[in-house]
Amino acid sequence: MRSDSSVASVKWRVIPLQARDAHANMALDEAVSEAVSRGESPPTIRFYTWKPSAVSIGYFQGLEDEVDVALVKEKGFDFVRRRTGGGAVYHDTNGEVTYSVIAPESFFPKGITESYRVICGWIVEGLKGLGIEAEFKPINDVAVKLSGKKISGNAQTRRNGVLLQHGTMLYDLDVVTMFQLLKVPREKISDKMIQSVEERVTCVKKHNADASLERAYKALLHGFTEGKEFGFGEYSGGELARARELVESRYSTREWNYLK
Amino acid sequence: MARLGVATEKVPGGKLLRVKAWVSEDGSVIEKTQVTGDFFAHPEDCVLEIEKALSGAKASLDEKALGERVGRVVEARKAVLVGVDPTAIARVLKAAASNAK
Repeated sequence: MRSDSSVASVKWRVIPLQARDAHANMALDEAVSEAVSRGESPPTIRFYTWKPSAVSIGYFQGLEDEVDVALVKEKGFDFVRRRTGGGAVYHDTNGEVTYSVIAPESFFPKGITESYRVICGWIVEGLKGLGIEAEFKPINDVAVKLSGKKISGNAQTRRNGVLLQHGTMLYDLDVVTMFQLLKVPREKISDKMIQSVEERVTCVKKHNADASLERAYKALLHGFTEGKEFGFGEYSGGELARARELVESRYSTREWNYLK
Repeated sequence: MARLGVATEKVPGGKLLRVKAWVSEDGSVIEKTQVTGDFFAHPEDCVLEIEKALSGAKASLDEKALGERVGRVVEARKAVLVGVDPTAIARVLKAAASNAK
């Protein structure tokens, strides 16, 4: 474990946007977390997309409660259980930018909500660069001001002294596919008095039609790195090897994905 | 053969909680439970312990007693539940057990 505990004085490794499948993406989060925990890797911010498109579910969710697995397979998409809690997410390959922040827990406030607030603040900064005024909306969302519509969902876990937060910035919205793949619980909709996903979720493109995915990523990158000392880097050989192991032993397995 | 009951609730101000309860044939014991939803729990494995702590409970126990079982696990593990709480888990478990067919 690194002993320096100030976010400002540390040098972050930033791994630029890369596309990977769902299992590899989740395995890399864990492999990097392990390496950071052992003090072998610097605190890391990684950006990625999902290729092919995929559905991820929260650690405590029932796969078949949330996902039309047969349809996911028919479309050639992936599905994966995350090791973070939270809800089911449809990750369209061209529809979002995903990030992970992996760093010693000591860098962030102890309180769960307060630590979400810090990292979600970086997303808010990124969106500002795209002309979108947004704000942290506890427990774990970022929503556009005025409309209150969600534009980013986030999830966090802490293990062996390391905080992992990953989340998405919605770039484009394919509500039809999302609705087909995810089973939205009736109770959740009725509680919020909202009838459809379209009425509670938005995306970068709806607010800034000219922004490309690349531009949205660059804006997010700026929001996450502003005021930090950082260098662009790559995964270590050890991290990549460990991630391959974790794909085989966990993230692609039936035991893990059908755990609940 | 145990009978399965399921109940779901959007916890007020929180997340979606779904509990499955396998109740003994004679209706006296909650043999097994499963707690699912889009909530958060730190550390995550405390939910497995919560499920274990509730399994084997007499179906006649009230919400308060079941909630205390959950609370004891949370305390022992110094766990943090986000979007769900022991009372809600107990409430939804009772509903699930009473739905068992």
